Amino acid sequence: MNYGRELLKGNTDSLLLCLISHQATYGYQIVKELEKRSNGYFQFKEGTLYPALHRLERDDLITGKWQVLPNGQQRRYYYITERGKQILARRLATWQDFSTAVKAVIQPETT
Amino acid sequence: MVNHASHYLNRFKASLKIDQKIRDGAAAELYAHLEDKTRELEEKGLSREEASKAAIRSLGSPELIAEQMYETHAQGSWKEAIFSALPHLLVALLFASYYWRNITCVSLTLALTVAMAIYGWQRGKPIWLFPWLGYYLMPVVVTAILLLSLPEGWGWIAALIYIPMVLFVFIHIVRQTARRDWLYASLMLAPMLVTFTWLSSLGRGNQLLASDWAVRLQTNAVWIVVSFVALAAATVAFIRLKPRKYKIIALLIPPLVILFAVITASRGNIAYWSWLLLLFSLSAFAIPLWMQAKAYQ
Repeated sequence: MNYGRELLKGNTDSLLLCLISHQATYGYQIVKELEKRSNGYFQFKEGTLYPALHRLERDDLITGKWQVLPNGQQRRYYYITERGKQILARRLATWQDFSTAVKAVIQPETT
Repeated sequence: MVNHASHYLNRFKASLKIDQKIRDGAAAELYAHLEDKTRELEEKGLSREEASKAAIRSLGSPELIAEQMYETHAQGSWKEAIFSALPHLLVALLFASYYWRNITCVSLTLALTVAMAIYGWQRGKPIWLFPWLGYYLMPVVVTAILLLSLPEGWGWIAALIYIPMVLFVFIHIVRQTARRDWLYASLMLAPMLVTFTWLSSLGRGNQLLASDWAVRLQTNAVWIVVSFVALAAATVAFIRLKPRKYKIIALLIPPLVILFAVITASRGNIAYWSWLLLLFSLSAFAIPLWMQAKAYQ
């Protein structure tokens, strides 16, 4: 299987938590934001985002609330929970350590 | 947009066998996504028709999303798993302790089963309800069988009135359950299949109702306990496993192994009406699983 896709799969939860921690957001906006921030690197079948969001909500890391826009459209906005913030902080710290270690191995001269 | 989106969302909902409220919520989220995407593509110059089709393509297969969504919501908690296995363990305990012949203990177990079944049914049919419901239905079916043993003539008259009523209630509950999820119907009927398997092993003709039937059943107590413990383990596995195909395997194997083991041990020495009963419970148990397997082909 594609290595990049595997990496994305393993880190989807952290990426979603990170985006939601900045501001309450909804599915379509998350897709756009991921694409924009990664300069188009993260591209996937958009529908697969929703099972991931539901999984995070089931694990009490985020919470979803329906909101009605002035034009009548309904959107489900996701908010990060306290537990979500704690888990994200831990994952980011682990990721930093991992990233530093990988960099130190593959580019020893820069450390 | 509406037609394409409706068709897409109908496919999604048809593939997703979970709580209706969660399913409708997920479908509404996908619809909102399609609306946003279509609007954006229209602003880029695509026609409404093209934009709608492209939006649907970008979401991906509705069956795949449904499958992933199912795996997120179908896994019950350990608490639910233990709660679901509890009626099987209670029956195993009754046989292990010889208290299954004590009228007080049996009545208390029955009262608890009825209370749990009614409580669960009124609380929106949580997943732990279905094994309890299976035991709740059992006395209803057993009464129909016992009616046949009434004095000449009366048995058939009583049965002819009672059996259609039982069948109506039985089919109604199975239909209600299968509407939620076919697999839950099998989960509900598994204890019935195992119980009737053991009852049918008691012998030919009138031997079942002979005075020593309880003694004969007790001689198999260890294996009956093992059967219900296996059923409890299968129920826990069913609740905790995520992929649907593993759930089917977990639920299918123990009751069928018990059925064939008992029939083989009794060398097929089973009364004709016991065969009918076994066939009825086996069909009721296996048809929902078969329907499910067929739906995923």
